[in-house]
Amino acid sequence: MNPAVGIAAFASISIATALIGFYGLRVSRTTGDFYVASRTVRPWWNASAIGGEYLSAASFLGVAGLILLSGTDALWFPIGYTAGYLMLLLFVAAPLRRSGAYTIPDFTEARLDSRPVRRVTSLMVVLVGWLYIVPQLHGAALTIRITTGLPSWVGPVAVTSVVILTVVSGGMRSITFVQAFQYWLKLTALAIPVVFVLLLLLGSNLPAVAPPAENPTGAAPTGLYQNISLLVALLFGTLGLPHVLVRFYTNPDGKTARRTTLIVLGLLSVFYLFPTLYGLIARIYAPDLARAGQADAVVLLLPGRLVGGTAGDLLSALVVAGAFAAFLSTTSGLVVSLAGVISQDVLGGGVRGFRLAAVVSAVVPLMFAFLTDSLALAGSVGLVFAFTASTICPVLLLGIWWRGLTDVGAITGMLTGGALCGGAMVLGAIYGSNALPPFVAQPAAWTVPAAFAVTVVVSRVTSHRIPATLTRVMTRLHVPERPLGP
Amino acid sequence: MTRVRVTRPQAGASTPAQRPETAEESEVGQLFVRSLIRSQLRLALVVAGGFLLLLVALPFLVAAVPGLDEISIAGIPFAWLLLGAGIYPLIALSAWLFIRTAARNEERYRDLAGER
Repeated sequence: MNPAVGIAAFASISIATALIGFYGLRVSRTTGDFYVASRTVRPWWNASAIGGEYLSAASFLGVAGLILLSGTDALWFPIGYTAGYLMLLLFVAAPLRRSGAYTIPDFTEARLDSRPVRRVTSLMVVLVGWLYIVPQLHGAALTIRITTGLPSWVGPVAVTSVVILTVVSGGMRSITFVQAFQYWLKLTALAIPVVFVLLLLLGSNLPAVAPPAENPTGAAPTGLYQNISLLVALLFGTLGLPHVLVRFYTNPDGKTARRTTLIVLGLLSVFYLFPTLYGLIARIYAPDLARAGQADAVVLLLPGRLVGGTAGDLLSALVVAGAFAAFLSTTSGLVVSLAGVISQDVLGGGVRGFRLAAVVSAVVPLMFAFLTDSLALAGSVGLVFAFTASTICPVLLLGIWWRGLTDVGAITGMLTGGALCGGAMVLGAIYGSNALPPFVAQPAAWTVPAAFAVTVVVSRVTSHRIPATLTRVMTRLHVPERPLGP
Repeated sequence: MTRVRVTRPQAGASTPAQRPETAEESEVGQLFVRSLIRSQLRLALVVAGGFLLLLVALPFLVAAVPGLDEISIAGIPFAWLLLGAGIYPLIALSAWLFIRTAARNEERYRDLAGER
């Protein structure tokens, strides 16, 4: 691929992001603006922003790569990523918005009336955020290497710098517009090339290299346990993603929070058709892309490969721009929510503290990214979902729906889930997930129930610690807001 | 679990008008709140359960019905169509049903709590 294409694509995305960020700066003034855009964002904007933030490197590059590698088994990834939002809608969206909290630690503290719970939740949120940023940076490294030939480190460093710049200058208000823009950019960047490719394939009668059902790498099918465990991770992990949840506070009320989620579901469903198409087309017409060991780059390489020429270059530029939009939007969303948590808990809040915290929350995962090797993107993000599902999700779900939750139960539950799932992830990182038995490689199916069980049992034992504020908090979570006016 | 039926107070035996805040903290108010929470949770569980059941059933359906996995439309095998596109409308439908019913539960609560 022409290196200038990749560089031009990245430069224009960064400039567009920065411009919208600076433009948004003029409307954001107070600390509240910095955190959650003053809760004045309309459902369509907000839903686009949620979609923009959620569709990460794993969705943009990883899903198609995995489909190319393992066929229909990989289709469970986009299903899980989307259905996670259904679970969010069913169990979390409206009550969380009604809780009136800015962040997940705010929520657990208010619900359980306990500072220690807040500290542990903050720790988990920061861990989840950092773990989630790392694959984005790996994606950036891969994209830079494949499309420009520059050394890999350029990608992560560039993404981190742009993110710090936009977050520090504009806060959440501008981030909302940036994210909304980036959803539509990502959709266009995948849709236009694939339509071109399809038209070309229909017109040219290019011979199919392999039938779609054939597995181009000969890798063993993943099996029932792994599919189920993956679904558990994705369905319950979405509930606890810090950068997703913070978006719900920007809805004016619980009803709008639900409407927003419904729109998000629609946006995600439309989006995931395209990575699926890329994966399927690549399986049929370019299965050798999988053998090169860089299946995650299939979205980047396919348009150039099948279209070629100047048209191919232009389409490639579009896809590369979309990929960077994915890295930038997810990373900045995570950095914003992490900075919110870190600045409130460690630096005492305020705009200055937020800016400092933003730099810290972006630089630490950059170090992680340099120290670790890139796995398959969809797989490593799937593990982050498993971690979230084992730590934040039980506390959130039980906190919203179960009166018996206590602070001790919440803390032990989070620590147990974190230790079990984190341990499995460390083993996977050391020995490689292929060398491990499935229950370690894909731990969610047992770590999530374990975390729930520990939380419930310990809460039962310590039931004298049920907070006195329980009735008031539960009422606030579930009672619909009073309509304005008479 | 015992189900408590909560009904609107009879017109004649009306209690004096209360401010909504105090109404929610009263014993009767809490009864309404608890019943709202229960109905929302039941709704969420039913929708989630139904969706998951379908989700799990679909792959088995493909495997169990002979010839289903040999069907292909425009060169794309049935399993791909089902998992790659067919499940998304199902998700949207579940979400839509949930939102409608959840809003109705809240309306009913508002009526009961006399908030309008």
